[in-house]
Amino acid sequence: MEKMNIGHHISRQFNEELEDVRNQVLIMGGLVEQQIADAVKALVEGDSHLAEQVIDNDRKVNGLEVAIDEECTQILARRHPAASDLRLVIAVIKTITDLERIGDQAEKIARMGLHLVEMERPKNHYYEVQSLGESVIKMLHQTLDAFARMDVDAAIQVSQQDEKIDHEYDGIMRQMVTFMMEDPRAIKRSLDVIWSVRALERIGDHSKNICEYVIYLVKGKDVRHTSTEYMKEAVQED
Amino acid sequence: MNDRSEKRHAIDMSALGRSNAGLNLENEEIAISVNALKLFYGDKQAINGVDMQIPKNRVTAFIGPSGCGKSTLLRCFNRMNDLIDGCRVEGEVTIEGENIYGKGVNVVDLRRRVGMVFQKPNPFPKSIYENVAYGLRLQGIKDRRVLDEVIERSLKGAALWDEVKDRLNESGMGLSGGQQQRLVIARAIAVEPHVLLLDEPASALDPISTLKLEELIYELKSKYTIVIVTHNMQQAARVSDYTAFMFMGDQVEFSDTDTLFTNPSEKRTEDYITGRYG
Amino acid sequence: MVNNNNQKTGWFSSGTPWVWISAGAVSISLVMVFGLLLLIAVRGLGYFWPADVVAMDYIERDGTEIRLMGEQRETELVPLERLLDAGYQLQDHAGDVERHLLKTGNRDLYGMDFRSVIEPAVSNRTVPDGVIVIERYEWGNFYGFLKSVKENGVVVADGEAARAALAQSLERSLALHEEIKQIEKSDIGAINYQLERLRLKTRKLELSNSLDPQREQAIAAERAEAQQRYQVLQKKLNDLYAEINRDSLLATVADGREIEIPLAKVVRVYRPNEMGVADKLPHYLSKVWEFVSDEPREANTEGGIFPAIFGTVLMVILMAILVTPFGVVAAIYLREYAKQGPVTRVIRIAVNNLAGVPSVVYGVFGLGFFVYFLGGNLDALFFPEAAPAPTFGTPGILWSSLTLAILTLPVVIVATEEGLSRIPRAVREGSLALGATKAETLWRIVIPMASPALMTGLILAVARAAGEVAPLMLVGVVKLAPSMPLDGNFPFLHLDRKFMHLGFHIYDVGFQSPNVEAARPLVYATALLLVVVIVVLNLAAISIRNRLRTKYQAV
Repeated sequence: MEKMNIGHHISRQFNEELEDVRNQVLIMGGLVEQQIADAVKALVEGDSHLAEQVIDNDRKVNGLEVAIDEECTQILARRHPAASDLRLVIAVIKTITDLERIGDQAEKIARMGLHLVEMERPKNHYYEVQSLGESVIKMLHQTLDAFARMDVDAAIQVSQQDEKIDHEYDGIMRQMVTFMMEDPRAIKRSLDVIWSVRALERIGDHSKNICEYVIYLVKGKDVRHTSTEYMKEAVQED
Repeated sequence: MNDRSEKRHAIDMSALGRSNAGLNLENEEIAISVNALKLFYGDKQAINGVDMQIPKNRVTAFIGPSGCGKSTLLRCFNRMNDLIDGCRVEGEVTIEGENIYGKGVNVVDLRRRVGMVFQKPNPFPKSIYENVAYGLRLQGIKDRRVLDEVIERSLKGAALWDEVKDRLNESGMGLSGGQQQRLVIARAIAVEPHVLLLDEPASALDPISTLKLEELIYELKSKYTIVIVTHNMQQAARVSDYTAFMFMGDQVEFSDTDTLFTNPSEKRTEDYITGRYG
Repeated sequence: MVNNNNQKTGWFSSGTPWVWISAGAVSISLVMVFGLLLLIAVRGLGYFWPADVVAMDYIERDGTEIRLMGEQRETELVPLERLLDAGYQLQDHAGDVERHLLKTGNRDLYGMDFRSVIEPAVSNRTVPDGVIVIERYEWGNFYGFLKSVKENGVVVADGEAARAALAQSLERSLALHEEIKQIEKSDIGAINYQLERLRLKTRKLELSNSLDPQREQAIAAERAEAQQRYQVLQKKLNDLYAEINRDSLLATVADGREIEIPLAKVVRVYRPNEMGVADKLPHYLSKVWEFVSDEPREANTEGGIFPAIFGTVLMVILMAILVTPFGVVAAIYLREYAKQGPVTRVIRIAVNNLAGVPSVVYGVFGLGFFVYFLGGNLDALFFPEAAPAPTFGTPGILWSSLTLAILTLPVVIVATEEGLSRIPRAVREGSLALGATKAETLWRIVIPMASPALMTGLILAVARAAGEVAPLMLVGVVKLAPSMPLDGNFPFLHLDRKFMHLGFHIYDVGFQSPNVEAARPLVYATALLLVVVIVVLNLAAISIRNRLRTKYQAV
């Protein structure tokens, strides 16, 4: 059953409002994605200029969040959306919160990048950060794709990637602990790296949340705080 | 990892009591049970076989587009359709264990047990007092003390007492629309029915009167089983515990109101409540 | 040209002509209604105003000269030729001639009340002082001069003194007359009624073969007692007659003849030529009061028309009492209980067509069905003792009311049905939903709410019934009813009696009277009264309806 058909309301105005809010979310998603990519790049390459740009751009992300929130409030007040429309608005409100947090994490990474510029660079040029960053960006990208296409299966698949990211994060943590035990001078640098990696891991969690909202949006099932099996079960129903 | 999520799952189910089933009447006492109900106006079929369990002391709302048969279905519950020429009913409606379409059913007695409030406030051209006393007088109650007591209780029950207690002998037609509708409800509950049928009770009222009425419905719920037909989906969402969506004489979906308005299982319901119908 | 055309269509399509046409129609109707009322009122009410009495010398057609005296009533212009043809000697005259209608009275002397005089033959016209007008119980008005007053045939006062003496004697004789009337009408009437009932009782017992000596004795005793009372009254009556016949007056008429008039025959004496407006007004009012409150005299041409007013009102009220339940029940059945379909449609058409049947046809029906069939059978069943005299088998007020009830039934049915159909379904359903049966809903809610419409029907019915004459002539109205349908004798309301009716009174006085000229103003006065009675009846019904309306205000 094709459940998500935003068009075809009797009120064309309402169609446009819903469509608009959805596009705004995707725009915000795209911006946030770019922010992470830039932040990771700035950190890895020691580009302080880029890092500052990322920090600066976070204001744009925050502004978008407020604007979309406002629009959702208006839809709620004026349209009294029900069923799928209601779920869309709710999902959007929650999604932008997570996107904003992701934006904050990107800013945090950029700030760490600024710290690290002043320090001696390691031989592997923060390869581990770059690798984790790529995974996270890919995950976020797929999440936003799933949101755009309202693709439940993709959403489940993407949310499973969070486990992989968690594994990778655990590995980097162990590596950093080893570094710090070997060379106390690297402690400061390693801590900054840990903060950055930690931020990336959080982005993965937020992405997973967004995937859950997509499932809620499409299927009307709340799958937060449940197992993957339960999630799959819920999606398979009806 | 795996057992961590399972543990979360367990907490989730018990703590939040979340159920994904749209309709779970296991813990409810059933007041009205409808069984394969069909209704014809002459050759035209207005209700195509409805099965429904309406729980006791809950508010059940019927929604649907005009002409979908929701009012007709409501009027089956106190056999108001009998008054229409050429109206024929098949199937069963069981209220308190009795099939009201069975043989030897006393319709007058049924209507005393199943009160009804109509779309337009229809007070009688009598005083406020006599309006409320009407049903009691029909039962032959003449004792002034009994009448006084029941009338006060009914008017209080309908949240109208404070507004009219000083002018009980004035005509009921002189009240405002919202007051008239509450007067009619007082009149209906004066005979102590078990079920209260409300046929678009707020369609002629302004928003404040509507809210007062909805508040009243919420209060009455503890004593009566209430079935309400409404055109206003927000109203159904606000006042009801269970909602049935009807379309072209079919009962499309019947589930608890929360589910129906957030995640209906039928596309026709979805289309109707989100405004895509048509 | 084109422009002109446009203007024209513009004026027509603006609707102005229609406003003018409709307003014109309304004003014509208003003018007609008020003109009608005004004509009737002026002609009718003028009759009671005491006119001056004129005296004149007049040359008759045959050349003899006489002195005439009387009230000048009407004047008209008559073409000369017609008068010449009639034998008047007017050869030297040219043009139209004025002709007056003179009420000369003194029917006992002249044989007629009125005569017409032509202006050229009149001379020496005066308004003499000292003229007296005597209204009498017999022979109409007297116009003349008072000469003397007599007691037991002996003159007691003469000339100027006679005036005071007459006033005194008249007061006495009027009081005696009132007493006599009381005894004759009520007391002796009651005894006669009792005797008649005793006779019927005896006859009834005879018919049922249960007349045993004991009962016979009781009846005889009762009869003897009544007879005794009658004797007493009769004796008293004889005394009163002797008393009232004591006085008389002597008067001269215009031509000098002298005439003696017993005061027992005098109703009222007045001197119009000596009265100012201040004197005439009370006289006028007392005449009007006499007209509406007294009984008729002289074949209805004089006196009052109270029995006719009473008969009309009583008949209409009886009709309303009969038609309301019939009409309402029929309407309720048709609207509420009957299955709507071809049959009810046919019934409705039939009911509506009933309203179009000429009223005299109802009269014929009433006579054939009610009077002869129903009444005849009722007599045979319940009043065999009165046979061969009919009780209900003859026209009477009951049959009249019933006939008119049938006549007005369609109006009541249609109006009530209309009222019933206007009661909102929601109100009925509200009642039914509270556990009322259909009958309870009808009685407690629907009929009270429809009562204003019912009253509207009744108003229309009353208006129609009060104006009907034709059918009543067949089923109960008479020229002069000996007794009223409502009186002090048990059972007070006598439905079998004939009655008088204003409408019929108009017809009778206007066309059947021996004295058409004298009666013409009465026709107008009675017509005015009929209109007033109908208006009063309607106003009463309308006020009831309005009260019901406010009580059962429509939703």
